[in-house]
Amino acid sequence: MSSDSYLQVKNVTKEFGDFTALRDVSLDVEKGEFVCFLGPSGCGKTTLLRAIAGLDIQTMGTIIQDGRDISDLPPSERDFGIVFQSYALFPNLTVANNVGFGLIGSGKSRAQINAQVQALLKQVGLPEQGNKYPSQLSGGQQQRVALARALATEPNLLLLDEPLSALDAKVRVHLRGQLKELQRSLGLTTIMVTHDQEEALNLADRIVVLSQGRIEQVGTPIEIYAQPANAFVADFVGEMNFIDARKIDNGHISIGEIRLAAEAAHLNGSDRVIAAIRPEDVQVQSAEATPNNFDVDVRHIEFCGAYLRATLGDRRLGDVSFRADLSMNLVRRLQVHQGGRLTIAMPPERLRVYPAN
Amino acid sequence: MAVLAQHDLQITRRRVQPKPARDEVWQRGLIVVIIAYLFFGLVMPLAMVFTKSLQTYAFYPEQVTIAFQMPDGSHAEPRSLQDWLDDSGAEANDGLRASERTRIQIVRIIPKNARADVESFRVTDLSADGGQLLIDGVPSEAGQSYDVPRAQLGKVQVRPQVSYGLGNYGYYFSQPSLFNSILNSFIIAMIVVVIVVPLAFGYAYGIMRTRMRGKAFFRLAATVPVLVPSLLPAIGLIYLFGNQGILTPLLMGQSIYGPIGIVMASVFFTFPHAMIIMIVALSTSDQRLYEASEVLGASKWRTFWVVTIPGARYGLISAAFVVFTLVLTDFGVPKVVGGDFNMLALDIYKQVIGQQNFQVGAVVSMVLLVPAVVAFAVDRIVSRRQVAIMSAKAVPFQPEHNPRLDSAMLILCSVVAVFILGILAMCQFAALARFWPYNLTPGLSHYDFSKVDGGGWGAYFNSLKLAVLVSTIGAAIVFLGANMVEKARGFQIGRTILQFLSMMPMAIPGMVLGLAYIFFFNDPANPLHFLYGTMAILVINTSIHLWTVSHLTASTALKQMDKEFEAVAMSLKQPFWRMLSRVSAPVCLPAISEIWLYYFVNAMTTVSAVVFLYSPQTQLASIAVLNMDDAGDIAPAAAMGMMIFYTNALVRILYSLATGRLMGRLQAWRHR
Ligand SMILES: Nc1ncnc2c1ncn2[C@@H]1O[C@H](COP(=O)(O)OP(=O)(O)OP(=O)(O)O)[C@@H](O)[C@H]1O
Ligand SMILES: [Mg+2]
Repeated sequence: MSSDSYLQVKNVTKEFGDFTALRDVSLDVEKGEFVCFLGPSGCGKTTLLRAIAGLDIQTMGTIIQDGRDISDLPPSERDFGIVFQSYALFPNLTVANNVGFGLIGSGKSRAQINAQVQALLKQVGLPEQGNKYPSQLSGGQQQRVALARALATEPNLLLLDEPLSALDAKVRVHLRGQLKELQRSLGLTTIMVTHDQEEALNLADRIVVLSQGRIEQVGTPIEIYAQPANAFVADFVGEMNFIDARKIDNGHISIGEIRLAAEAAHLNGSDRVIAAIRPEDVQVQSAEATPNNFDVDVRHIEFCGAYLRATLGDRRLGDVSFRADLSMNLVRRLQVHQGGRLTIAMPPERLRVYPAN
Repeated sequence: MAVLAQHDLQITRRRVQPKPARDEVWQRGLIVVIIAYLFFGLVMPLAMVFTKSLQTYAFYPEQVTIAFQMPDGSHAEPRSLQDWLDDSGAEANDGLRASERTRIQIVRIIPKNARADVESFRVTDLSADGGQLLIDGVPSEAGQSYDVPRAQLGKVQVRPQVSYGLGNYGYYFSQPSLFNSILNSFIIAMIVVVIVVPLAFGYAYGIMRTRMRGKAFFRLAATVPVLVPSLLPAIGLIYLFGNQGILTPLLMGQSIYGPIGIVMASVFFTFPHAMIIMIVALSTSDQRLYEASEVLGASKWRTFWVVTIPGARYGLISAAFVVFTLVLTDFGVPKVVGGDFNMLALDIYKQVIGQQNFQVGAVVSMVLLVPAVVAFAVDRIVSRRQVAIMSAKAVPFQPEHNPRLDSAMLILCSVVAVFILGILAMCQFAALARFWPYNLTPGLSHYDFSKVDGGGWGAYFNSLKLAVLVSTIGAAIVFLGANMVEKARGFQIGRTILQFLSMMPMAIPGMVLGLAYIFFFNDPANPLHFLYGTMAILVINTSIHLWTVSHLTASTALKQMDKEFEAVAMSLKQPFWRMLSRVSAPVCLPAISEIWLYYFVNAMTTVSAVVFLYSPQTQLASIAVLNMDDAGDIAPAAAMGMMIFYTNALVRILYSLATGRLMGRLQAWRHR
């Protein structure tokens, strides 16, 4: 990426005593972008966010925001707004005073502040709630107050640490939409930490997948989903079949006795590899006309609401089975049933090959 | 390009040194100031106690010579003072140990007839460091000779010289009258623990685990003793069981002056401390355990031993150590009712005030510090465990109806309440009786303190002033300090030191702290000497003496706040003081007012530390009780003690009203 990105994280390492929470992390964020940090619990998402905020400054490495090296600056000299999972609303201040907290001492008159607070509350959809105390609001309302408070000082960077995870599913989906809407209308560069992949895929312009303090992949939601860079990402985001296989040459692998075309040039040698395909990418419709087709036994069928999940296998594949997601429609049309035979295909462009660990 | 990348890498490999924010300079400055306050008000004085305990003083008469000048102007051969002493067979360092302030006059060494017709004397200090002699109060210089006219010889004194070692400790342990106090103190403290802890457990059990009546009353009654100085129950006991006491026959010939009186008065003043700990311990029990025990078919008695006692075990241990330390370090009770039964804390007082023997006072202080520090350490470890139990998700215990248990507990609690309130009532009665025991008609004559020593009403108002100053200043500094420890960003060293210093005062007995202050502040060479004898030193001393409990109260409240508040404030570019004044302090207002009350009540009742530090201008009510009792004016002493009680009770009531009403309004945000 270009060296004039809005936010540049370069070789950031963070140690807590003997424990290394971030290892040599580098990342660029463009102006106006919505970036999600995604990863399992304890992978270092919050640590990276707090380093960017200056709340827990990195042990080593550089952070540049808007062309300014902010690596060693305290939070109060950086330019960001932040919302925490707990919202951290001041319980003894009214909603309006919470939102206006950052405006005290800014040289604005009381009337100006009031007007600005009202505008912010309106923006987040809480125009009438200014005189209440935080404890009198629902979780979703509290979350929006925290957002309004963070936006009050008109920061150029918004940091969100799991802002939605304390809410129940329905409210979460609703607020997710609102958040994206607001971010887009303000053109505000935003970084959000989440461990909810659906949230990340839905909201982000780009996703940063972290694991054990390292970046595994950075990419658009579609890239992350369709071309996971490694087995970790493939496994963490969405569903994935992992099947033991062998590399034959740069264009072919074999699973048991079955030979399949697949891009394998990035792997050295010719030994054991892992083939990966998402259950929904296993093709059944007009499989005969697609490369990499073969016949399998339907070993088990499971009803999952909008679709059915079939567990498939075959003597020639060896001791492996894999899952395929089939639509109701298709199952009815092809009369797929437990114990039957089925022709399927693993389209070469959907089949990914990773080194065996 | 490759070179540049390499260079880039070099830079990023460097460790980042975070820069402090602008307001953090102030924050760090404040931390340093509070550390300095505790350093000069606690660490330095304590270090002085240790040093003093190692100082021994001895005379060196061989280092001083004296030559007679005869009427004809000739000088006789100089002789050393040792020679003169040898002549008379006397010794400079005899059985009576020299202390810092001991002096020997030269006229007592040289017999009168030997110096009958001497015109003047030439005294010479032969020592390498000088200072062997005081000539009209001025120390002599090394190797210098001084001509003293005959009439002035009386003004020449020999001064003992200091050396460092364990001599004082050796002396202390060679004096049965001194080290017997250790045994006395331990035995008495153990007896009080054995009485108070089970009693407090039973009392708290009645309040928390039964459906007996009058729980609110019993709770209140048990906390009454914290409102009065420990001297007061001792005075009450004298009226009840003394030579002219109304219940004296009950003692069957035993005297109240001595162990019996000390134990009874100690039970009185330690009871509330143990009871409060037991209430907390019993309030954390989990209903589910009792249900499980019942389901398993355990008897009530077995459940009690298997569930209740283990659940309260940390409370029991903690209460035992707290009571033990309180008894060990209290000197008010043995002072009033101890007779000639010696206790450790009283020894410090006797050595220092009575005999001006500071070195031995320091040794006793060091001896007293050992159990106090051990008890403190145990209490800290145990209370950490207790917190762990509390944080489990427990279902509060619901006591069942059990008429037999309820009435048994009612009897127990009533007995304790009668004991406590009876002693207090006795004091009140004695304070009002015109002339005990002959004229019992009530009157206020004993409240006219002008006829007795002790400072009178002035002392009372001084106490009031001290209490208000200490509680206000103390609550402010302690809260500020705790806020810095808990919330400041960076400056880990400063915060760790402050945390450590904040925990220290609890382990230091009041007597030791008071003595430490004499050593430190009464040294004319100390630039802080000007504080000696002022109200300020009393405020500093008391605020630090009571620091730890206040600090823990503040820390607990601060820890309960969302830990991201400071992060939010920083992101909003608000300095720490705005966060503190608009959010932290208002949210912690209940804790702050609790600290204020704690400081107030204890400043009114404290004796042990301030007894060494008051001056004629800064006499205090609690000290007046002590001094009036000492002078035999027991009725006015009781009256003054009751004044402290009224004041504290009134403040306590006002506090309850304030927390009920005013706080309700200020803290509207707490309610949904
Ligand atoms: N102050 C600290 N001291 C020591 N270790 C820490 C500290 N803060 C975080 N860690 C460790 O660093 C690792 C990363 O923590 P971090 O909070 O960044 O995880 P996360 O990805 O945000 O996880 P989650 O989804 O659970 O919030 C964890 O193993 C955590 O235990
Ligand atoms: Mg996190």
